[in-house]
Amino acid sequence: MVIVRRKELSLLEKLYLPEIARGLSITFRKLFEKKITRQYPEEPLPKDEVTRGQPRLVVKDDGNIACVSCGMCEIACPAYAITIDGGETDRAIEREPVHFEIDMLRCILCGFCEEACPKDAIFMSDELELADYSRGALIYDLAKLKRPKSALQKRIDYVYRLNNRWRKSPSTR
Amino acid sequence: MTKITINGRSIEADPTKPLIHACHANGAEVPMYCYHPGLSPVGSCRICQVEVQQGTGPARVVVACRTPVAEGMVVNTEAPKAHETRRECLEFLLKNHPLDCPICDKAGECDLQDYAFAENQGEGRTHEPRRKLDKRKSLGDVIVLDEERCILCSRCVRFMEEVPKTPQLTVSDLGSRSTISTFMDRPLSGNYQGNLADVCPVGALTLKQFRFQARVWNLKKSLSTCGECSRGCAITVEVLRGQDVKRFRPRYNASVNQWWMCDTGRFSSARHNATERIVAARRTSRGLEVAGLEEALAAAAALLSGAPAPLIVASPFTTQEEAKELLALAKVLGAAAHFVLPAPSGLKDALLNTGEPAPNRRGLAELGFAPLSPAEARAKLAGARCAVLAGERVLELLGREELARSASPKVVTFDTHALEGAAAEACIGIPEQVEKTGTWINIDGHAGKLHVARPAPKGVGPLTRSLQALTRLLQPSSAPAR
Repeated sequence: MVIVRRKELSLLEKLYLPEIARGLSITFRKLFEKKITRQYPEEPLPKDEVTRGQPRLVVKDDGNIACVSCGMCEIACPAYAITIDGGETDRAIEREPVHFEIDMLRCILCGFCEEACPKDAIFMSDELELADYSRGALIYDLAKLKRPKSALQKRIDYVYRLNNRWRKSPSTR
Repeated sequence: MTKITINGRSIEADPTKPLIHACHANGAEVPMYCYHPGLSPVGSCRICQVEVQQGTGPARVVVACRTPVAEGMVVNTEAPKAHETRRECLEFLLKNHPLDCPICDKAGECDLQDYAFAENQGEGRTHEPRRKLDKRKSLGDVIVLDEERCILCSRCVRFMEEVPKTPQLTVSDLGSRSTISTFMDRPLSGNYQGNLADVCPVGALTLKQFRFQARVWNLKKSLSTCGECSRGCAITVEVLRGQDVKRFRPRYNASVNQWWMCDTGRFSSARHNATERIVAARRTSRGLEVAGLEEALAAAAALLSGAPAPLIVASPFTTQEEAKELLALAKVLGAAAHFVLPAPSGLKDALLNTGEPAPNRRGLAELGFAPLSPAEARAKLAGARCAVLAGERVLELLGREELARSASPKVVTFDTHALEGAAAEACIGIPEQVEKTGTWINIDGHAGKLHVARPAPKGVGPLTRSLQALTRLLQPSSAPAR
């Protein structure tokens, strides 16, 4: 058992009104200071390149998807959120995903897929909001996952910078 | 037998086999690309080099696939010198090998990839561009060649020469421009082309059917037996996500198929991906209706009891276990058991295919089932009061349309699909070949096991159990339940 001994109040404090005035003065002063709260979702959250949002697939500048459906992210995913089916294309890179599904309800935004990808095809975007009216709608398919490279460029540059810190030579990417 | 020492252990080696065979048989891992136990050794890839000391001479590095074992040999597969030589060979093999493992179908089961990782050869030291060759050269209906990935081990060339004995492939051109090709770019022919994709140690020869279908580490592999002919080749059934059978691959069995299988069997994997399976149905006043298994079996029992005894026709795909249950049923009914023996497929060859599309013909015959051709079976059916048609594909083999056309005799079917038509009294679903366990006896009397590669559709139980339940219903009530 702990006995907490309160400080004896002084006469000024016992008078009550001066303390009210002091308290209200703090309240009114804060009204005119810069706000530290935010009207989310009307005001979006500040997002940095370190933000690990939902994974998105890169569409290269030539309009083709960068993914070759190698299955590395699928196997790296600790939550088994990714399912890929590959198919053949006529392009020089012979393989592309026919189905690419990420179950956003399972995704834990860990970024392993981004790390595992040998083709720079999947990156953690800055998209964080995840709400819908059905579970099915939250299993994202190719159409919902594709993003132009420019939209992910900030994160791509960041990942390169991060990786080069650990790499002996930057030649492998 | 010859006494030699491998990695400090003295062992007895078969002198008719090359040294690499003794190494593998005794747990020493020696990589190999050009050597294949089923083909003649050529020693072209040089990756199987091991250190060998004989007598008082110095230890030398030799290729294990072209060195015969000799008395008193001291072999060290893990010697630093051997590793160094192998790593250098590997570097040359990888010099022009494209870095497209993420795209390559072989990734995950590729000897080159595995050994490059084992030897820590993760990065190349060259910056020159790699050679550019044709990445999709079609070699007929079965195989695609990626010339860039080829390491010129010539296994495919030797396979074509030595196994089906139809030499069609060769290494053409010289030096770094060497490629595998056929004469005048003619397509490959024969029923054994699929094996080329298996013998290829890298992803140069791939199956068109399996191209980009799945990543191999996602495939669940189950041991099974091929059912396309009475040879019963040992196979692995590879299933993606518990649904689609993606491929059949041969599995080594010295006395049946060795390392090989024919394309007919290999590509029969596609047959097992049909949808819309029946669980159970019985005839009511409104026609054939989906019913519970109990109701369907009760309807079947009501039809079958009474004289004269019904005709029992099994499919040649029936396993021994199912056949025994059928015999028990036949005994209760006082009926004779028959099986459909389809006409020869015309694919008989000297190597594996027996041309007899009945995997358990010998087993059924040994159990006392009488063979009937589809026409004979139909003739017998026409004269019967009622009949039991049991086993996978039995309706297809008897002629689904002919059976559907006539309303008599009434039949009880145990097949994966229902029999449309007035004749069906009760239809009971059964698991497919890849969904059940069982045994087939092949033409030479070898037992081939089937294992469950994917679950049967919900509600579909083993044929053995359905037959047991039916037998129990038909038994005189005084008999104790089994």
